[in-house]
Amino acid sequence: MPGPVVETRSLAKTYGPAVVLREVQLRLLAGAGAFIIGGNGAGKSTLLRILAGLEAPSDGQALVFGQDTRRLAARYRRRIGLMAHQSFLYPNLTARENLEFYAELYSLADPRACAHQWLGRVGLAEVADARVRAFSRGMEQRLSVARAMLAEPALLLLDEPFASLDHDGAEIVAALIRGAVERGACVLATTHGIPEIDGVELAVFEISRGRLMQHAHKEEVRRGGRIRSLLGR
Amino acid sequence: MSGFTAVLRKDLRLELRSGESTLALLALSMLVLVVLVFALGAARVRSVDAAAGALWVAMVFAGMLGANRALLAERDNGAIRGLLLSPLDPSTLYAAKLCAALIFMAVAEVGAVILMVLFFNLDFDASMARLAPILVLGAIGFSALATLLSAITGRTRGGDMLLPILAVPIFVPALIAGVKASAAALAGAPFESMGDWLKIMIAFDVLFVTAGYLLFEHVVGGE
Repeated sequence: MPGPVVETRSLAKTYGPAVVLREVQLRLLAGAGAFIIGGNGAGKSTLLRILAGLEAPSDGQALVFGQDTRRLAARYRRRIGLMAHQSFLYPNLTARENLEFYAELYSLADPRACAHQWLGRVGLAEVADARVRAFSRGMEQRLSVARAMLAEPALLLLDEPFASLDHDGAEIVAALIRGAVERGACVLATTHGIPEIDGVELAVFEISRGRLMQHAHKEEVRRGGRIRSLLGR
Repeated sequence: MSGFTAVLRKDLRLELRSGESTLALLALSMLVLVVLVFALGAARVRSVDAAAGALWVAMVFAGMLGANRALLAERDNGAIRGLLLSPLDPSTLYAAKLCAALIFMAVAEVGAVILMVLFFNLDFDASMARLAPILVLGAIGFSALATLLSAITGRTRGGDMLLPILAVPIFVPALIAGVKASAAALAGAPFESMGDWLKIMIAFDVLFVTAGYLLFEHVVGGE
């Protein structure tokens, strides 16, 4: 039986005297979808950056594919897709050029075809040759999701994927998350409120005062496959 | 190799599209040379020593601007994190960034040499061919140093100010060697006469290209 995709052991992160994460225990398997809720500054983004290997924990351990995230080799990094607050996109390149560039970095077989395919999936095919600097925040967000999912990562880390998106954009991203979970990827996303994603069982965690608590799992999924907001609505 | 070519091609595409770095480098080179021509006065304007000195001052200023800009694009929208998260080896990223900085600097050097010849009343003759390898060695060394240092200073507040403070003192040995070798080349001296200066420049290049290749991962790792 394969091990967990994500595992943290007593993970802690401090910035000077400020404790952002403390004693975080998290374990996610392949094909799992999970959302982390929490207020601004709760430590959600920090947790994702640590799991992506972009920040080192102050204490404890973060393991991805069984590897310590402080020393992730290229073959493991290529299996992680991260969509962060910053889009990682080049404003002076077009949407197509941005995706082609990342496709080349990941040595994908046909970068042009891959970029074309993903631009279609996120509904940006018509603006494929427009520079990203001319994009609205929502369009940039969609392109950023496409960039993160381009190489079909086994672990998808999404930092507030629904922020700035209109209804259509949110539907597109929800469908992509569902597709990723269905193909067996592990998806961990942060959000302020729980979105509705048909047909996906989502575990929900909350970060409060640096501690991660599991709120709910299958039982929160309604009969129709929709998950009810845990925020009292 | 595909990662190297992807990053280099992207950097060149961004530069061709905006022209910001090349234009700024050329403008800065011209400004430095004009100021020095007027500062030196008519009596020294045919001096190859003065011309070589002015050329290298222009090169160093232009090189700093170029190196800063080479990593600036990666800081927009946090793109450097996207690169670090990708399977791209940080050493390969350094090699691509060094290559891009070198190309920008080479373009600025060509412009600076033309301006130097015009402003210092020199001739386009065989001395230019002797000058070329010296400038190439200088550009490699300075690009290697400045690319590495700009990765450090770019992470700090006021990093643009910090880069010249760090880079110029470290570059001094290669700068002196470059000025001496260039003056000799412009005076028509044979290559053998500048052997020691060239050895210093080659040693500097080897040292900082190797240092950059080995250390870049640690320098950008905490972005």
